[in-house]
Amino acid sequence: MKNLLEHMGIEPDRLHFSWISSAESTKFVSVVREITAKVKALGPNERFVKKEAKVA
Amino acid sequence: MSTYTENIQQIAQRLLKECRVEMVIGFRKGSMPLMNEPCVITQPEAVNQLVWDSNCGINLTHYLTNRKEKIGIVAKGCDSRNIVTHITENKIQREQLVIIGVPCLGMIDRRKINAMVEGDIQSVSETDDAVTVATRNGEQTFAKMDVLQQNCAVCVHRNPVIHDEMVADPVPEQNGVDQYADVAAIEAMTPDARWRFFDELLAPCIRCYACRNACPLCYCPTCFVDESKPQWVGKSQDPMDVRTFHFLRAYHCAGRCTDCGACERACPVGINMRLLTKKLNKDCLDLYGWEAGLSPDARPALDVYKANDPEDFIK
Amino acid sequence: MKVIKIEKSDLAAGLDKLRGGYRLFGPVKDKTSHGFQELAAGQAPDLAFQNTRLSPKNLVFPQSETLLAYSLDGNDPEGHIAREVDKDYSPRAVIGIRPCDAKALTLVKMNFDTDAFKDPYWLNLYNASTFVGLACDAPGGTCFCTTTGSGPFHEEGLDVLLVDQHDHFLAKVLTDKGEKLMTAAGFNQSADGDAAVEKAKTAAEAAITTAIVTDSLAAADPMALYNADIWEDIAFACINCGTCTFSCPTCWCFDIQDEAQGNKGVRMRNWDSCMFPLFTMHTTGHNPRDTKVKRTRQRFMHKLKYFVDKYNAGIMCVGCGRCVRQCPVNIDIRKVSALMNNVGDAAKCAV
Repeated sequence: MKNLLEHMGIEPDRLHFSWISSAESTKFVSVVREITAKVKALGPNERFVKKEAKVA
Repeated sequence: MSTYTENIQQIAQRLLKECRVEMVIGFRKGSMPLMNEPCVITQPEAVNQLVWDSNCGINLTHYLTNRKEKIGIVAKGCDSRNIVTHITENKIQREQLVIIGVPCLGMIDRRKINAMVEGDIQSVSETDDAVTVATRNGEQTFAKMDVLQQNCAVCVHRNPVIHDEMVADPVPEQNGVDQYADVAAIEAMTPDARWRFFDELLAPCIRCYACRNACPLCYCPTCFVDESKPQWVGKSQDPMDVRTFHFLRAYHCAGRCTDCGACERACPVGINMRLLTKKLNKDCLDLYGWEAGLSPDARPALDVYKANDPEDFIK
Repeated sequence: MKVIKIEKSDLAAGLDKLRGGYRLFGPVKDKTSHGFQELAAGQAPDLAFQNTRLSPKNLVFPQSETLLAYSLDGNDPEGHIAREVDKDYSPRAVIGIRPCDAKALTLVKMNFDTDAFKDPYWLNLYNASTFVGLACDAPGGTCFCTTTGSGPFHEEGLDVLLVDQHDHFLAKVLTDKGEKLMTAAGFNQSADGDAAVEKAKTAAEAAITTAIVTDSLAAADPMALYNADIWEDIAFACINCGTCTFSCPTCWCFDIQDEAQGNKGVRMRNWDSCMFPLFTMHTTGHNPRDTKVKRTRQRFMHKLKYFVDKYNAGIMCVGCGRCVRQCPVNIDIRKVSALMNNVGDAAKCAV
């Protein structure tokens, strides 16, 4: 799914997957830090967002 | 290929006469050049309707879904792979089927020919490697390789992978074709360019759902775009709704698509939506060594877990 | 009838003169085919086409059209009141519509403009439009307009009919609207072109090589047709996509949808298709047309029988051939009509 979204033009840093055990608090913190930094760098998502229907 | 029609008719007649099947699904001659019509034959004396030429691009597996009868079905390479997928997914039982295998030399892209000739095509004749079309301005002959559907040009499974009868000896498979050059070209673009590329690709879509409905994989009783309680996707021509449809349709074909080309062939406005499904086919091949529908004994890539499955996408 | 000569070299300049008073629409070629769209300033219609891939019905009946807008904000004095949205109904000119497609609009008008109901959206666009037709000199192999009550030079639904005469057009001015448009464009060179037009018309009609057979449909018992044993075979190949209905110039069915974003919403209508299961799905979950055979039968019965019976104005088909060309599985309305007509014949004998 990530691959197909990126194929359609969603930025690679927009979607993240991680497997974190409840015992891995430090991994959780570092993954969340990394993700927020990457998503903030991209700015607000404009793609695959439906605003008002653009029709006649 | 000139003997295919005759052999299909003979086999169909024998199967019906011997009561081995209740019906034979095949093609009959279309009402216009470069088109044939899927049909079902139930009487031995009606088998002379059946034909075979390079205009049999619609995937007949579509017509098997959930049928209960004993069925003879004419199947080229890609059709046979979708029959395998149907068997794996329990949409038909192997015991119900007598598969009449057709070694395939590729199907003609009628739009390509229409774009290359002036005026209406009045008649068409073909040999194994050439197609001659007649218009009121005269005749024009094309090498079949130049007018094939794009998926046929890069097909590496022309022979049926499963069959009970064969209408001819297997044809040589194509070696050394670059199946995924088109996908690789898109992969090489920036995300911005890819987004724009698909905007443009999907702009003509009229949401007739011919791509979905021609696809043998799309057999859900209610498609997600047709869900109304609650509704999942907007029904208008809003570009984001159109893209959502195409994205999710493709995704539902992941690990199942045989690139038979029925979707693109069916599209009335000429959208190559295969650029989405092919990306998934390529990933399935690259990541899991998987090509759909090659054997009824193999479980699909998205159906099994292996310890060495790539998991680079998980942090 | 007034005939005006328009030199081809003068056409673009004349159209430019119209732009002050009209929005212009015409056929434009994309990569592979023609389609009607609004012509930008300086853009000329591309009249070198047989017919457009999709019919021009979207010019008066957009595939998706906003009808009403509303706010769901309880504090807004206008909240929960649906208001018509502003639309541009200023005069527009449709240049190069084929006679079959113009005739199709007159058939659709029977549905949208009745004594009891008048569809304002459709009628506003239709009435705002002046239709300048382009007669068909070289009909295609799937054209069968002459047996549908239309024809390559058919004038119904047109305000002006252009006839191509190599270096110039002969323009038959058919209505006051057409007259007004010709005046605004500065086309005023009267010509004695009746004979030339007749000659071209006869040649074009002779070039139509295929037909649809409908003579026994009107008298046929609708239930005999409905229950005939032809439908399983006709519908077998059908994949129930909307290609035939969406490409058809006479298919008018639509679905109404509300779409809200936050506090604001619109009511829109979208083309719908009798080929889709959802088209007839009841809120109870019951679907009276629950199989593809029933849906396929509905489409042909509507076009070739119910419409015939209801309006006594022939079939709901103008023979443009789009469904024949574009159907992915080659279901051909000419073949279906012949089968239905046979049933009509047989039923007549039985009585």
